[in-house]
Amino acid sequence: MKKTNTIRNRIWVLLFYVVLIGFWQLIYYLGANVFGWWKPYAFPNPQGVAYSFVGLMEEGKLVIAILYSFKRCLMGFAISVVIGVILGMFISFFPKAGNAVKPLISGIQSLPSVCWVPFAILWFGLKESSILFVVVMGSICSVIVAIDSSFKSVPPMYIKVARTLGADNVSLYRYVLLPAILPMVVSGLRQAWSFAWRALMSAEVMAATIGLGFSLQSGRDMADINQVGMVMIVIILLGIAVDKFVFSTIENKLLRKRGMLV
Amino acid sequence: MSIILSNVSKTFDGTKRETLSDISLNIEDGEFICVVGPSGCGKSTMLNLIAGLDRPTSGTISVDGREVTGPGADRVVMFQEAALYPWLTVIQNVRLGMKFIGISNDEQERRAMHYLKMVHLWDFKDYSVHEISGGMKQRTSLARSLCMESDILLMDEPFSALDKQTTNKLREELTSIWSETGKTIFFITHSIEEAVYLADKIIVLSDNPGTIKKVVENDLPRPRHIEDADFISLRKNLLSYVRKEVDKVEKDEYDTK
Ligand SMILES: Nc1ncnc2c1ncn2[C@@H]1O[C@H](COP(=O)(O)OP(=O)(O)OP(=O)(O)O)[C@@H](O)[C@H]1O
Ligand SMILES: [Mg+2]
Repeated sequence: MKKTNTIRNRIWVLLFYVVLIGFWQLIYYLGANVFGWWKPYAFPNPQGVAYSFVGLMEEGKLVIAILYSFKRCLMGFAISVVIGVILGMFISFFPKAGNAVKPLISGIQSLPSVCWVPFAILWFGLKESSILFVVVMGSICSVIVAIDSSFKSVPPMYIKVARTLGADNVSLYRYVLLPAILPMVVSGLRQAWSFAWRALMSAEVMAATIGLGFSLQSGRDMADINQVGMVMIVIILLGIAVDKFVFSTIENKLLRKRGMLV
Repeated sequence: MSIILSNVSKTFDGTKRETLSDISLNIEDGEFICVVGPSGCGKSTMLNLIAGLDRPTSGTISVDGREVTGPGADRVVMFQEAALYPWLTVIQNVRLGMKFIGISNDEQERRAMHYLKMVHLWDFKDYSVHEISGGMKQRTSLARSLCMESDILLMDEPFSALDKQTTNKLREELTSIWSETGKTIFFITHSIEEAVYLADKIIVLSDNPGTIKKVVENDLPRPRHIEDADFISLRKNLLSYVRKEVDKVEKDEYDTK
């Protein structure tokens, strides 16, 4: 019963996208050939996007671009996690200092990461390090906030029980606080990853010579609107894939184990 | 270990009313103390103070002559809510406290098995917390507390979520653990019958502010039987002390008569 339902749902979703692509093709056709709203080369069309995809795949450029982007995103994300976890713990250990810097952190978090690009280029030049800098600045604050707020969300009862059972500080952290905050940390990291991915694209558009962001930019330079559209779709799909297959999977597993997911 | 409360008062921050007022009480080594009193009179507060989870506003609490300054495994608490860790299974919850105090794996295994069997949860030992019922959670929490084999046991309505039969059985088990080990037990209950069955000394708390209204010594010989004439007369006696104070207890008593 349930299984046939999910299959039916999938068919519906598939159908929706088939119709959507058909609609896109129709709009393109009407706009370019019937009404003359735009020049055929000024609007991407499904067919052109598909050709562009196959073309870049055959040259191997797309795969290399994806690998480069992934590598950068992973590195930036890793740096953010390491520094962010340390800073987040620092903030929750020292609430006074924490309260002072928290407005700053949420300020930085709300700053679009492209704003860091000029700094990055002035400080690091057109190098990998400037891209990493932008990625880190774009994602680190959500790691800090996630760590801090997940410690705050631990029910006081968990700590009381541990103390009356004789837990010292090390045991309290290892066996109670860390497992207690884990699901919230994972959902914080999930958000941080998506910030990192976005920041990476801004940085690559401005400062890279290879990578998905650069492919987007080179599509513009060559006035190849289909390449631009195709790279955008690839960026979206990769973003969704990591979110769904990595973070969402881990998060659901943790929550299900605790009975917090129906 | 003995517990001494001298002139203990507690007013919570942000409240004007005194929750506990001038409580003085000597609990001797190996005594079984039951505390009864209406809901909200400060029973759990008193337990938290002895546990060291909260500090009295005035007065002192000492255990074996040393003032209580914080919680510790010498005074294991069984809380009113089961308070298990949802990321652990039943047996992992039970073993965690023993892990904290450095008990060997073999001994952890042995005690966990012994007490989980006692509370009839051995078959459920690998269940997650969200897969067991409220009463099963309470029994897990009981097993976790007993596994610690502490000198003092502070229990906050440990059988409140259980059916009559299970309660009766666990009362017996607790009494025999107590008489075998000579623990000091501080036990909060809503049931006067339970207090008369278990306690050496019954403390009746009054409400608003919480003070000790009466201390009733219970010398009935053990094992006790709830149908015995002495048992019934002590129960009635106690009921008359608490009648005015303990609406909830009174009601429970008449309901189950
Ligand atoms: N942290 C707190 N802050 C403020 N007031 C509190 C706090 N904890 C308890 N109280 C108040 O203290 C009083 C006694 O609470 P307590 O939990 O000790 O009652 P109790 O006797 O255990 O009741 P019950 O039988 O319902 O468990 C209540 O009026 C409650 O509102
Ligand atoms: Mg209570």
